[in-house]
Amino acid sequence: MGEKLAERTFTTAVWLSVALVAAVFLWIVADVALRGFSTLSWSFLSQAPGDAGRTGGIAPILVSTLLILSIALAVAVPLGLAVAVWLSEFTRAGRGGDTMRLFLDVLAGVPSIVYGLFGNAFFSIYLGLGFSLLSGGLTLACMILPVFIRTCEAGLGAVGSEWRLGALAAGMTHGAAVRHILLPAAAPAVAAGLVLGIGRATAETAALIFTSGYVDRIPGSLLDSGRALAVHIYDLSMNVTGGDAAAYASALVLIALIALLNVLAQALTDNWLSRRITPL
Amino acid sequence: MNRIAKTLLVLLAAGWLQPLAAADDRLTLTGSSTVAPLALEIGKRFERENPGVRVDVQTGGSSRGINDARLGLADIGLVSRALNAEEKDLTAYTIALDGIGIILHRDNPVRQLSVEQIVDIYTGKTRNWRELGGPDKPITAVNKAEGRSTLELFLHYFALKNSQIRAQVVIGDNQQGIKTVAGNPGAIGYVSIGSAEFEQKRGVPIRLIPMDGVEASVAAVRDGSYPLSRPLNLVVKGKPPALGERFIGFARSAAVNDLVEAQFFVPLEP
Repeated sequence: MGEKLAERTFTTAVWLSVALVAAVFLWIVADVALRGFSTLSWSFLSQAPGDAGRTGGIAPILVSTLLILSIALAVAVPLGLAVAVWLSEFTRAGRGGDTMRLFLDVLAGVPSIVYGLFGNAFFSIYLGLGFSLLSGGLTLACMILPVFIRTCEAGLGAVGSEWRLGALAAGMTHGAAVRHILLPAAAPAVAAGLVLGIGRATAETAALIFTSGYVDRIPGSLLDSGRALAVHIYDLSMNVTGGDAAAYASALVLIALIALLNVLAQALTDNWLSRRITPL
Repeated sequence: MNRIAKTLLVLLAAGWLQPLAAADDRLTLTGSSTVAPLALEIGKRFERENPGVRVDVQTGGSSRGINDARLGLADIGLVSRALNAEEKDLTAYTIALDGIGIILHRDNPVRQLSVEQIVDIYTGKTRNWRELGGPDKPITAVNKAEGRSTLELFLHYFALKNSQIRAQVVIGDNQQGIKTVAGNPGAIGYVSIGSAEFEQKRGVPIRLIPMDGVEASVAAVRDGSYPLSRPLNLVVKGKPPALGERFIGFARSAAVNDLVEAQFFVPLEP
C-alpha cells in the first residue's frame, strides 16, 4: 500500500513537473503571440523601420540577423568540430586536454556582455573592423564555440570504443575513422550543439549592441553595421517610448525564426552526417 | 560544379567586404541611448536629402559619446546633458531639450514630495511610504546605472553623490524605468518627462509628480519654468568635417522639429 502511494506520488510529481515547464513555455509564447500578432503582417516583414522602429517593419534587421548568424556559424562550426575531435580523439586523458576543457567550461559560463566588450575591444577597435556584421558574427562565434565544442566532444566520447577498434582493424587511418565513422555516429550531439548555438546566437543582445551595432538599414557589405533582431527588440521595449507593439511583433518573428532554424539545423545534420555511415 | 560554386562564393564574399560608401561621405555618431533614436531618424532624413551620404548611429550611453568623440572613434558624440568642466576640449551643439521628472506608481496616494523628502528616499533615510503620508509599503528606489547622464543630472540637482544612494533597483534605459515603476506600487523613479507623459496618457499606471512645486510637463520644460531639464547634444572635438558641420546645422534646424517631437523631446525653436 505504502509502496503504491510512493509510486503514485512519484508519477504525479514527474507529470506535474512536465506540465509546469510546458505551461511556462506556452505562457511565454502565448503572451508574445497575443500581443504581437496584430502588428505582424507581410509588410512588417518586408519594410524598413520608421519612427525609431514604432512604424514600418523589420526587413533590414532580418537581413542583418541572418548575415551575422551565418558568419558566426561559418566560423564556429568547422573550428568547433576540429577542436572537439582533437579533445576526444587526439589527446589522452592528461593535462593538455583537461586544461582546455577547464578553459572551455569557464568560457561557456561567461556572461554575453563580456563577449560583447571583448568583441568591441578586439574586433571593432584593435582589428579595425568597426561596428560591422563581421565584428558581430566573430564575437558570436567566440560566444557559441565553448558550448558547441563541449557538446560535440561529449557526443564523440559517447561513441563506443568498439567502433574505433573496428575502424583500426579494418585498416582505416585515424583521420578516415573520424570522418567516416566517429563524426557521423556523433551526429545527434553535433545537431544538439548546433541547435544550442543557433538559439543562443540568434537571441543575443549584449554581445551585439557594441559590435554589430544599431544601424537599421539594409547592410551593403559585411563591414557595415547592422542591427540584430534581439537588439531591435531590446531597444524598442527598453528605450523607445511607444515601441511595445513593434517589439512584441519582432519577438514573435524571433521565436518563429529560431524554431525554423532549429528544425533546419536538425534536418541538415541528420542528412549530412548520418548518410555517410551507411555506404562505407 | 562544386568548385565553381565555391569560387563564386569566395568572389561574392570578397565583393561584400568592400564598403559601399567611401569614408568622406559617411558620418558615425555614437553615444546616449536617449538621443540615439532621434539621431537615427534625423540621419535618415539627412540621407534622403543628401543622396550618397550615410549616417551610422550607435548607442551605448553619454560617456561613450564623449569618449568616442575624443578618441576619434566617432565623428560626432551623442550626449544627453551639458558638458562639464573636464569636457571643455569638446564643443556641444544642442538639438533638443528633455525634462527629467519623478514618477510614482498611479496607486500611490502621495502627490507631492519636497526636495528633502526625495533626498531622504534616495539616501535610504526614508524607507516606507507611511513616513510620507502614504500606505504602509516599503519604498523601492529606482536609480540609473553609472555613466547615464540622467543619473548625473539627478545627482547634480539634488546635490548627491552616487555612493550615498541606496537604491533597490538600478536600471539603464528610460523605458525600463517606466516599466519598473509601473510594475511596482511602492516604486519611485526618475525618467524623461515626454515619455512619462505619453505612457501616462496611454494608461500605464505611473504618475509624474511636481518637482519643487513646478508641474512636470513638456510645456513647463518648453517655457523654461521646469527646474530639472537637460540639453540633448551633438558633441565634436575640434572642428567637425564639412559633412559633420552640415549635419549639425540640419539637426539644429526647424526642419527636424517633427522628429524631435515624435521622440517626445522639446525642439529648440517652435
